[in-house]
Amino acid sequence: MAILLAPAGSPEALNATLEAGADAVYVGLKGWSRGGARGELDWDELAGAVRLAATRGAEIQVALNTIPKPRERAALLAEIPRVARMGVRTLIVNDIGILDTLRRRFPELALTASIGCGAQTAADVAFLAEIGAAAVVLPGTLDSDEAAACVAVGGVTIEIMLHMVEEFVLLGKCSMPSYVHLRPTAMPGGLPEATRQTGSMKRGGVGACFRICQQPWVLEDGAGRRETQMFPSRQLARLPEVAGYVAAGVGVLKLQGRSLPPERLGPLVGRYRRALDAAQAGEPAPEQPSLGLPPSWTVVGR
Amino acid sequence: MTATFELNTSVSNLRHLAASDLAPYDAVYLGNIYCRAYEGNLLERPVELQDAIRFVRDRGKRPYLTTYAAPRTDGLAALRRALEVAAAEGVEAVEVHSLGLLKLVHDAFPGLAIHVGSFGNVYTDAGVEVLKAFGVRRITPSHELTLDETDEIARDTGLSAELLVHGKMPLGVSEFCFLLDYEAKWDARCPDLCQQDVFLRREDWGLKSVGKGILSGRDVCMLEHLPRLVSRGHRHFRIEAASESPAYRQGVAAVYREALTRALAGEYAIEPAWWRTLRAHARLGFCNGFYFGKSGMQYLSA
Repeated sequence: MAILLAPAGSPEALNATLEAGADAVYVGLKGWSRGGARGELDWDELAGAVRLAATRGAEIQVALNTIPKPRERAALLAEIPRVARMGVRTLIVNDIGILDTLRRRFPELALTASIGCGAQTAADVAFLAEIGAAAVVLPGTLDSDEAAACVAVGGVTIEIMLHMVEEFVLLGKCSMPSYVHLRPTAMPGGLPEATRQTGSMKRGGVGACFRICQQPWVLEDGAGRRETQMFPSRQLARLPEVAGYVAAGVGVLKLQGRSLPPERLGPLVGRYRRALDAAQAGEPAPEQPSLGLPPSWTVVGR
Repeated sequence: MTATFELNTSVSNLRHLAASDLAPYDAVYLGNIYCRAYEGNLLERPVELQDAIRFVRDRGKRPYLTTYAAPRTDGLAALRRALEVAAAEGVEAVEVHSLGLLKLVHDAFPGLAIHVGSFGNVYTDAGVEVLKAFGVRRITPSHELTLDETDEIARDTGLSAELLVHGKMPLGVSEFCFLLDYEAKWDARCPDLCQQDVFLRREDWGLKSVGKGILSGRDVCMLEHLPRLVSRGHRHFRIEAASESPAYRQGVAAVYREALTRALAGEYAIEPAWWRTLRAHARLGFCNGFYFGKSGMQYLSA
């Protein structure tokens, strides 16, 4: 049975997500989450989230998807037992070094290789499984046949990000923003001397990538031709393909959007809940009106 | 005894290889990492790849094979054929940017040395330790790392780091090519379109587009800082030229060959003619990338 994994960037969003029927919810822990401060929970909020989810029979997963420097990594590792004592059993990470280290130090925890790890093929999945990932997140740009090939690797849960922003540059392969602006910023959460690299999409900023790819450019060539151009990006919604992914053996249907407000997140999760329930019951996909998200959600609002 | 170093570059196709003077180089990465449709991409042409490997070796240089920055499943069969040719012809290393290809090369071609390229997301010593277990011999740390961070990783892991010393820095990779929208308007077809020196300009900064790849508009230039690089023990240096002309490849490398020789001999002095050569090839000027902890497009003089 596939489960629905939804985002939440605040206690209010968590409520909306659970109300809408998520089986599991991923949240960021302040200071350690790539999404930045706008989509992170502090320690008290995390504890409350775990308690609330438990009352609904849901799981909280914690995204620790920055790439800390060695000194910061020690501080992160020191925090893990506290996370585990709260009842968290799944951590989402963005770096193979962190994944390997956590696997050795905390074998009781399940580790998910985030979409930022860049897996797109069965070979990528096999690598991540071999180094200890319990689950691997694939982008929704992969179709159900590609997902099925990844499922066939075996021994690892395949997650597919069915609802996401597909940007021009692939997640995990982009350093355009930091080419233009890179600003070390004090890390939220009070860790002395630790910094977040604002502008770095991979290492983790404070929620800003400066929208480099959402600004109009002048495209010019050696012959002097000039055109105004924006990088193409689109909101990817695989709602009609839910049944196909379920049939492919995907274990987790994941949605992007930790910075979405509750009033937008709830309906979004509800749509995928209904689609998943229908697919798993072998019923036709329910008719659902399209649900647009604001343009501002793209790029910064994942 | 004279200290030695390796100066290498990248060449996408046989046409450019045949037109390039490789004399200043020690090694050549063959293939284009961005696009399967790139003109004459050696990764898609086993016979031409065989010729290219022999061409490089006949000139007393080390042939390396590079691979795609973000391979999808439908491209793996061609890559496997390229690897078979590379193994049969005895290339001296394969550069991988994806974790799955790392595993594929490690498992299926155990005789091939492996380098991890700049899109391989090498950010930490912990990550490098994982890569070492898969037989990796050399790394190009993420271009977002500072020189100090790269030094630490090389020191702590004992693995050689390859440093970009000149050329346009890879910043991103996409799965689609927006230049195709201009085929009719610019009366240029793929695969000629992306070879027309296309830049994206905005305010005082710019990027170079090679269709599915985004590069820094400014040329990374470490000419002034070579003594610092060699004093820290680095010996593998790259001139990024996959999308440059043979004249660029030769002219820039001649400067760096002489400069590195002097730097290693402890007799460093920059010739004015070197600057003239480098400036003639740098349409948007110079930058230092991220080596000094600044945004990638800044240039700091020694």
